[in-house]
Amino acid sequence: MSIQRVVSRFDVLLFGGAMTLAFLGILGVYSASLQNPASTAFSRQLVWTGLGLILCFVVFSIDYHHLVDYAFHLYVLSILLLVGILIFGREINGSKSWLTIAGQNFQPSEVVKVVVILALTRYLSGLTEDYLKRQSFFVLTGITMLPVCLVVLQGDLGTALMYFPILGGMMLIGGLKFRFVAAVMVLALLLAPTSWLVLKDYQKQRIMVTLDPSLDPKGIGYQTRQSQIAIGSGGLLGTGIGNGLQSQLGFVPEIHTDFIFALLAEETGLLGACLVLLLYLFVLSRMVRIGEQARDRQGILIITGVASLIFFHVVINVGMALGITPAIGIPLPLLSYGGSSALSTYVALGLALNVHYHRFVY
Amino acid sequence: MPIFQDNRRLVSRIRGLRTAFVLIFLVLFGKLWYVAVLRADYYRELAKQNQVRIIPMLAPRGLIFDRDGRILVDNVQSSNLVLFLDKAQDLNKVFDFLRGLNLSEEALKERMQVARTCSKYQNVVIKENLSLEEMSYVLAHQNGHPELTIVEEPRRLYRYGLLAAHALGYIGEISDKQLKRTEFTGHRQGDIIGKYGVERSYNQTLTGIDGKRRLLVNSIGRTIEELQSVESSPGNNLTLTLDLDLQMIAETELGNDPGAVVAFDPVRGDVFVMASHPAFDPNLFATRINRADWARISSDTENPLQNRAIQAEFSPGSTFKVVMAVAGLETGVVNENDTIFCPGGVTLYGHYFHCWKKGGHGTVNLTQAIRQSCNVYFYLLGQKLGIDNIEQYSKRLGLGHISGVDLAGEADGLVPSQEWKKKVTGDKWYAGETISVAIGQGAMNVTPIQLARAVGMIASGEEPPLHLIKEGEGYRGSVTAVGSTSTAAPFFKEENLRAVRDGMWRVVNEFGTGRGAMVEGFEVCGKTGTAQTIGNATKKTLSAEEASKYADNAWFVGFAPRDNPEIVVCVIVQGGKSGGGRAAPIAGKIFRAYFEKKHPPQGPPLPAPLQQVASNATETPQPASATNGGIRQ
Repeated sequence: MSIQRVVSRFDVLLFGGAMTLAFLGILGVYSASLQNPASTAFSRQLVWTGLGLILCFVVFSIDYHHLVDYAFHLYVLSILLLVGILIFGREINGSKSWLTIAGQNFQPSEVVKVVVILALTRYLSGLTEDYLKRQSFFVLTGITMLPVCLVVLQGDLGTALMYFPILGGMMLIGGLKFRFVAAVMVLALLLAPTSWLVLKDYQKQRIMVTLDPSLDPKGIGYQTRQSQIAIGSGGLLGTGIGNGLQSQLGFVPEIHTDFIFALLAEETGLLGACLVLLLYLFVLSRMVRIGEQARDRQGILIITGVASLIFFHVVINVGMALGITPAIGIPLPLLSYGGSSALSTYVALGLALNVHYHRFVY
Repeated sequence: MPIFQDNRRLVSRIRGLRTAFVLIFLVLFGKLWYVAVLRADYYRELAKQNQVRIIPMLAPRGLIFDRDGRILVDNVQSSNLVLFLDKAQDLNKVFDFLRGLNLSEEALKERMQVARTCSKYQNVVIKENLSLEEMSYVLAHQNGHPELTIVEEPRRLYRYGLLAAHALGYIGEISDKQLKRTEFTGHRQGDIIGKYGVERSYNQTLTGIDGKRRLLVNSIGRTIEELQSVESSPGNNLTLTLDLDLQMIAETELGNDPGAVVAFDPVRGDVFVMASHPAFDPNLFATRINRADWARISSDTENPLQNRAIQAEFSPGSTFKVVMAVAGLETGVVNENDTIFCPGGVTLYGHYFHCWKKGGHGTVNLTQAIRQSCNVYFYLLGQKLGIDNIEQYSKRLGLGHISGVDLAGEADGLVPSQEWKKKVTGDKWYAGETISVAIGQGAMNVTPIQLARAVGMIASGEEPPLHLIKEGEGYRGSVTAVGSTSTAAPFFKEENLRAVRDGMWRVVNEFGTGRGAMVEGFEVCGKTGTAQTIGNATKKTLSAEEASKYADNAWFVGFAPRDNPEIVVCVIVQGGKSGGGRAAPIAGKIFRAYFEKKHPPQGPPLPAPLQQVASNATETPQPASATNGGIRQ
C-alpha cells in the first residue's frame, strides 16, 4: 500500500475524535494522581496509550478479512488463555482474572471481547439466511457464553456482562426475528430471579441501591451520591484541573478508573462533560458510517460489534456516574486509567479503521 | 467469498443502530442536565458540607550523631503558620493581614508566589518558628481568617552552628528542578529535603514518612471531627565517622583564615574531620525561607557555601614532592641513596630554577631532600621522570579524580599531561613545564581530600575507602576513586613507600620543615608545602596590598604513627604563607588530640569508683550505634 493511498483512505475524523478523548483521559488521570505523589498512574497511562496506539496500527495494517479467516484460531487461543488464568492467574480485588507481564497487571478478559467480535463475524458472515435460524442463534449464543462463563468463574461479573451487548448488537444486525427478541426478553425475565440467587450480596445491594439511592446514603449509595455531587457542583466551566473538591479530597472513590467522568465533570464543568459525551457520539456515529460504507457483511458485522462494545461501556459507565445504572466497575473507553481496557479499545479502534480502509474492492 | 454481496438489509439495520445510539445518549444528556443544571444548587450545598482539611504531620528527620554518639543535628518543635488555600477567599487580603508578622516584604512576596502556583488543596507554610507575639497576633484574628492555622512541626537544629557545616550540609524546600530528579522521587512540592552534605547524600535514610490528619471542618474552619489520623514515622538516625573533638580543634585553629582541614583513618576510611572556612550556619536554612540570609551567603565573595575540603582546587606545592618521590622510586629512576648536589638552583632547558634556600642544601639523598624540601633534587627528578611518568603516578595515587567520599559535588582536580595541554591550548608540552610540575606548581591542582588520600595510600599502601557514615547505617560504601590504572592494593613496593615515609618522618621529627606537627610518642610523619597562588613575575607587578591577597597557601599533610598508621591529616590555610609555620601546628594539635584521646595523659589516678564510671562513659555509645545499625527514635 502506497503512503498516499493509506493517507487518503485513513479515517482521520474517527481517529481524531478518539485521540481527543484519549487526551481528556490523560488529563483526568493526571488530575486524579495530583494528591498522591507516589502514584505512577499518569506516566503509566501515557505508556499504555503509546502501546495501545502501536497495537491499533498493527491491527489496522492487517486486512480484516485475514483476521476473520483466523478468528476461530484466535478464539480457541483466547479460551485456553482464560482457562489458564483461572488456574494460574493472579487475584486482585477478589477477581482472579489478572496476568502479570513484566510487572504490569493485565486482564486478558478485556481483549478477548474483541476476539469474540471476530469469531461472531466469522460465523455470521458464513450464513446465507436472511433471518437467523434457531440453530444459528444457539451457536452464536454458545460462542459468547463460553468465555462469559470463564470470566464469571474468574469472579469478574462486570466484565462478563459486557460480552452480551456485543452478542445482542451483532445478532440484531445479522438478522434476528422479532420472535427471538421476544423470546430472549421472556427468558431474561424468567432468569432474573434465578440470577438473583447467583449474585453475590454486594452485587444485589448495588442493584437495589441504584433503584433507590436513598436506601443507603453513607454505604453503597455513597459512591454514586458523591459522584453526583461532583458532577452537580462543577458548574458550567468547572473548578479547573486539580481543583475539584470532590475529586481531589478523596470523596469520590476510584476516581481515576470508574469515576473519571465525575472528575472531568467537576473540574471542566458541564461544558467538559458535554464535550466528552458528544465526542463519544461522534465516534460512534462515525463507526456507523463506516458500517454503511463497508464492502461486505464481515465489515458491517465487525463495526457492529466494535460500536456496541464502546457504546455499552460508555452508557453503563456514564450512567453509573450519573446514578442511572448500577455501580458495576466498567471502565470508560479511552478515558479511564487502566492498561487492559486501553489495549482492547485501541484494538477495536484499529478494526474500525481497518474496515474503513478496505471499503473499496480494488 | 462473493465479491458482490447484497448488504442492503444489514445497512438499513445498522442505520437503526445509529438512531438507538442517539436516543440513549439523549437520556444521558438529560440526566446530566438534571444533575449539573437543574439540581446544581442542591449538589453545591452538599459539596460544601464535605469540608475536609488535611493537616500533614511532618515526620522528623533522623538525628545525626558523631562517632562517639554525641548529637550533632537535632530536631526541635517549632510553631509554623500554615495557609490552607482552599479556605482563602482573597489571597491579597490574606497577605495584607500577614504584613502584621515579622516577615520581610520580599519573603512575603515569595510565599505569595508559591501560594498562587500551588494546587488548591495544598497548604503553604508562611512562616516557621513563630514568636509568641506573632502567635497571639494570629490567634487574636483567627475568626476572620479561617484559612490560617498554627501547626507544630519539627525543625532542624544544628547544635554546633557553623561547626562541620559543609559535611553535615543543610536542608530546604525542594525546588522545581529537584522535583524532576530521580534522586528525589516520591517527594512533592513543599517537602523539605537534604540539599547539601550528609543531609543530601543520605536524604532517603534521614527522611521519615509524613503522617496526616483528616479533619472534618465546618465552613469557618473549626474542627468538627477527626476522620483519620496517620502517625508520622521519623527518619532513621545516622552515626557519622566525624569526631566532634577533633573537628572542634581543627575549626578553632583555622580561625578566621580561609582554608580546609581533612582527617581520616587511612585503612578504614573513616573521616574524622572535615572543616572548611569560611563556613555558613545551616540553621539559617532550616527555616523554609530566609531570602536575605540566602542572598547574603550565596553572594559572599569568600564563597562560604563551597566545601573547600572537597571542592576547592589548589596547587599542592612542595607536598607534591612525596608523590614525586614515590614515582621516582617505583620507576627506578632514582634509588633511595642516590645523591645530588644542590647549590641553590639549577639551569635546565636554558632557564635558571631556584631552590628556596639561597645557599643550597649541599649533597642530599631522597629522604634528606624530602626533609629539607629541596627543590633542586625534585627538579632533577622531574627531568628524569618526564611528564608522562609524573602523570601516571599522580593518577595512581588518586590525583586528578574525585576521592569518592560520600558527598556530592566533589571537584576532580587536575593532573597536567601532554594530552591535556594539547586539548586545552592546542600547544605541545614543553619539557620546561615539567620542572614546575615537579615541585607541585604549574597546572597541577588538587583538592585537600585528594592530597590527603594520596598520602593515606603512601602511609598504608592501601586505598582508603573514604566515608562519613559509620558502617551498618545506610552505609553505601564509597566509589573507587582512582582511575582504571590501579586495580588492587598494594600497588607500590613496600620498601619504596617506607623510604618516602622515612623522609616524611624526618620532616617532622628531625628539625625539618614540619616540626610544628610533632607529637611526643606518636611518630608523626608529614610534608609541608608553601604554594604560590600566582607566579613570581605577576606578583612583582602588584602593589603590596594587592599582593597580600595572593599570599602563598600553607599546606601540611601527614599521618601517624609511622607504622600501622591510624590517622591522616591534611591542612591548608589559604594565604597562610608558611606550611611549616601555619599549617603544621594545626595538624600537630589534631594529632595530639587524637593521640591523647586514645592514650589519656597520666594525671593523678582517679579513685576506683570514678574510674569505673569513666570507662563506662567512654564505652557505652559505641555498641549502641555499632550493633543496632541505627537508633530509632
